Amino acid sequence: MVSNVARSGWAALACLAAALSLAACSTSATNSSAGSKTASGPPLVIGVSMSLSGDFATLANPALKGYKLWASTVNAKGGLLGRKVSLKIVDDASNPTQVVTNYENLITADRVNLVFGPFSSLLTVPAATIAKRFGYAFIEPSGGAPQVFALHLHNLFLAQPAPIVSSGDAFANYILSLPTAQRPRTAAYPSADDPFTQAIVGEIRQRLQAAGIKTVYSTTYAAETVDLSPVVTRLVAAKPDLLVSGTGGADAVAEVKGMVQAHFTPKFVFFTGGPNDPTFPAQVGPANAEGIFSTGDWFPQAKTAGNAAFEKAYVAKYGGTAARIDPAAAEAFACGQLLELVAQRYGKVDNATIISALHHGTWPTVEGNLSWNADGSPRGSDIVVQWVHGQLLPVYPTAQALTKPIAKPAWAG
Amino acid sequence: MHLFVQATIVGILFGGVYALIASGQAIIFGVTRTVNFAQAIFTILCAYLSYTLFTDFGIDPFLSILVLVPAMFAFGIGIYVLLLRRLSRSGAELGLLVLYGLGIGIQGVLDFVYKTNNRVITPGYANNSWTVAGYQIPEVRFFAFLLAVAVLGTLQLIRQRTKLGRALRATTQNPVASRLLGVDVERISAIGMGLGVAAAGAAGGVFGMILPFNGNTQYDLLSKLLSIAVLGGLLSMPGTIVAAVILGVVESVVAATISPDWSAFSFLVVLFAVLIIRPQGLFGRRLRGAL
Repeated sequence: MVSNVARSGWAALACLAAALSLAACSTSATNSSAGSKTASGPPLVIGVSMSLSGDFATLANPALKGYKLWASTVNAKGGLLGRKVSLKIVDDASNPTQVVTNYENLITADRVNLVFGPFSSLLTVPAATIAKRFGYAFIEPSGGAPQVFALHLHNLFLAQPAPIVSSGDAFANYILSLPTAQRPRTAAYPSADDPFTQAIVGEIRQRLQAAGIKTVYSTTYAAETVDLSPVVTRLVAAKPDLLVSGTGGADAVAEVKGMVQAHFTPKFVFFTGGPNDPTFPAQVGPANAEGIFSTGDWFPQAKTAGNAAFEKAYVAKYGGTAARIDPAAAEAFACGQLLELVAQRYGKVDNATIISALHHGTWPTVEGNLSWNADGSPRGSDIVVQWVHGQLLPVYPTAQALTKPIAKPAWAG
Repeated sequence: MHLFVQATIVGILFGGVYALIASGQAIIFGVTRTVNFAQAIFTILCAYLSYTLFTDFGIDPFLSILVLVPAMFAFGIGIYVLLLRRLSRSGAELGLLVLYGLGIGIQGVLDFVYKTNNRVITPGYANNSWTVAGYQIPEVRFFAFLLAVAVLGTLQLIRQRTKLGRALRATTQNPVASRLLGVDVERISAIGMGLGVAAAGAAGGVFGMILPFNGNTQYDLLSKLLSIAVLGGLLSMPGTIVAAVILGVVESVVAATISPDWSAFSFLVVLFAVLIIRPQGLFGRRLRGAL
């Protein structure tokens, strides 16, 4: 008995010690922003709930890097209005309930000066509502779904050029900009059963159909489907000139493989997701990626405000190459740039000033020149990108293009 | 008609891979009376290992099977000896939970090591196909089907023509009587577990060439394996093979000719219809004393 009691006591002490150690690690991790050589005054603490674990952990990691990169960059320049920027980052485990708790704690217990948004629309919706309740500005990098803007929150600003559902508009514009003889006559529209991809594909289809481009195949498949051979079989039988496919990544790869095996090359191939992944050429074969279209909010060679410095700093801090930078990092970095701009223009960065300021004018960031509607949805448009000679390059609109679109070559096998 | 035949070809070819994975599950159920909830993640584990062998060492995925199969055979025996043998007297339910937990644990390790990005193995011939009478035969699927036929044929030969096979079948039919007749049931069960996991190893090597995969792929695959097990009869190897091919064909044909939305549902309709007519599955037998 004595032995058991003693063992329980040691176990409890061990647990307590472990918990204290973890708490100490957590505290040190949250206060580990780069120091400033010249900043004075109390630090400007910005609270962020990020998905450090759970389903979004891997996807959210580039956004986390973007936030940290901006903090270290601005601190190296002396901070914001002479105050060192300190990020207080807490884990929401990709959970909508936890994200609410996190922002409540950040605002009421930690009394952070400002907050930035979490990763994903799923978490942005509840988080933005909390920020609104406490009068905090809510600049966020990735909540672009219609549900976010349906909240009609005046304090919310998505740091991207366009809402997700509008990201196909630029491609529809491109197709409709072609001379009639060069336009596709028929089109196929398979899509994963996903609110984002379906909305994007539906928007493109509506516009192209109205312009006389005949729909020869349209279907949806469960988002988790990886064996797309039946879809490709049907697609090949329909022989469309244009393929507009609502894909998330793996399904784009599967469709390409299926079309290669069937020796069928549409004249135009557009995927909503997949081609923007730097590993896409490796997955489908580099030559097969050639000529495939997608759209994006950011690309490595963009001539947007501060982009060259951002890329240089990113590669210096995290290694790799500019071509491997995930757009989510640029989106998070742009959130910080917006704060810097408000500070420069207004000389203060309190929440009321930020909210009021961002609703007026245009704000140049790595994501382009941003402006917003009253509900926080951006007013701009995404960019059409295409794999050209082994690089994913912007090809439309012309003003932002680095090269002209190329004709889709036949699959290389 | 062309669409129907093309979809049937694709369905049969991939049905062979399903059959290979599911047959391993049937062997394991036979000797342990435990539905192996980790069979899908074993397949994904081997897909990852094959991916690493190909990308880091340039070993062709079909050749990597020569490494994966013995390794997974030993792994299967290890699982039985370390986990299932100790639980064999506590009921099959506990073994099921342990295997389910093992599957989650392996997925966690895979997600940590490989991250959750989708992977696909792309050797030079991955996108090749033959055109035969106007129909496309993807090379990888065709060779995967041949592999499945070869492995299943070998397994069937072992089961029917060897002393080990007789012991396996006897243990499957009645472990108590087998023990009374001198069969070392624990040893046979360990070997059966090894063979079942090795089948997943053979399939995993080619799975990653046909479909993109990550750790989460196990759940979709597991749901198909369970459906195949129910349709074919948990203890029947021929039933498992036929059910796997039916699954492949029904899903492919319905998805191509009607809609992908209806493909999984259509298979469930076939499953329910068979279970109403033959509750023990296509090739299953009613257990003595069953209600």
